[in-house]
Amino acid sequence: MQCAESLRVQAYFDGEVDALAAAEIERHVEHCSECRALLQDLEKVRTALREGITYAAAPQALRTQILQALDQETALASPVAPQANSAAARIKPRPAPQSRVWRARPFWTGAFSGVGGAAIAAVIAFFVVMPAFSPLSNELVSAHVRSLMPSHLIDVVSTDRHTVKPWFAGHADVSPVVSDFESQGYRLMGGRADYIEHQRSAVVVYQHGAHVINVFTWAADGRLPSNTTRSGYRLAFWQQGDIQYCAVSDTGWDELLGLVRLLREQG
Amino acid sequence: MDDKRARFEGQVLPHLDAAYRFARWLCRPGEADDVVQDAVLRAFRGFDALRGSDAKAWLLTIVRNCHLTSAKQQQRRGLVPLPEENDAADGHAMIANNDNPESEAILSDQKKVLDRLVASLPEEHRTVLMLREIEEMDYAQIAAVTNVPIGTVMSRLARSRAALKTKWMQEVEGAPRAVR
Repeated sequence: MQCAESLRVQAYFDGEVDALAAAEIERHVEHCSECRALLQDLEKVRTALREGITYAAAPQALRTQILQALDQETALASPVAPQANSAAARIKPRPAPQSRVWRARPFWTGAFSGVGGAAIAAVIAFFVVMPAFSPLSNELVSAHVRSLMPSHLIDVVSTDRHTVKPWFAGHADVSPVVSDFESQGYRLMGGRADYIEHQRSAVVVYQHGAHVINVFTWAADGRLPSNTTRSGYRLAFWQQGDIQYCAVSDTGWDELLGLVRLLREQG
Repeated sequence: MDDKRARFEGQVLPHLDAAYRFARWLCRPGEADDVVQDAVLRAFRGFDALRGSDAKAWLLTIVRNCHLTSAKQQQRRGLVPLPEENDAADGHAMIANNDNPESEAILSDQKKVLDRLVASLPEEHRTVLMLREIEEMDYAQIAAVTNVPIGTVMSRLARSRAALKTKWMQEVEGAPRAVR
């Protein structure tokens, strides 16, 4: 008997779910030993295949044949006399960079450490590292880390605040401040919904240099933690009315607080 | 070399290895060469239709179509290929990028087992699994290449992963094999 969530867990493993679904699935996996085992099995099969299987590259003879066939094809299609053209094709050396690209590359070495590694790191971060932290900062860092996993960062991609802001109406419980501060160095990348404090919080994503800044917005009036650093990520909190905010990033404090100041002026 | 040819070599030919691997998973080694060559030529003729979409998925879709066409033709001619003993372990296109011959030999044994296990999966399961794990395509791309709905991609992936894991466990832990 298989858990009904197994296909969703697989989709999560394959990076096919959005941030909201990922959070749900992570919560499910926490309680379902069967799905925890499934995740491990999926990882084992992936590693075995990527490291262990013989992968064929197109034989050189086939490559040569194909290039010759393309020569003929080009000659037929060309208005120039066929003979002259194929002669030219023979003499002309092919651009070197392209021939290099054809070499079979050991693609999984990079890919595995990238996708699989990030997934494992995020799962470990979620289950193991977190309990040491205060619950809210905890949740926020984990959501930030999760957002950096492939295809989890942004649900609505846009640099236009008139596109991003209305999107939240159907996807989050609060309506966040959305603004593009490109001229000040904070480029609007898009938005996402994420679970924070048991509600669908709105996340606006900015880019500053090479850094991603997630700005979480949710409705609450409890006491906010003070600004802090967790696992190398800085968290800046503030409150306006009954809306609480937190900006999370691995930028320096100056850069992070710069964005906070701009957002407070808008709010 | 004219512009179309140059663009084709830049955008499509980098996926030649992927196309060849895919053909190998679909058909027998002797046929893979013909299918790939046929597919690349067709891709070149229809290159204008590509327009910035995903070149790899596009080329692999053409490979699959060529394979289906050639399989149909063979059926019509009454040529049903007999299975060959060593199809899965056919070595002419293997890559060795390891300098240590000893560890290479051990690796090569493991590879042979894994290759055999993968080859023993049903074709539609094997191709979906390989497109995901080796070519790293997403569900939508796999659905396009194999021409099935995404739900089918998901269930085939789940089944092939579970089957491979079971076979692998039997192999490694030496569980008694079923009597043939």
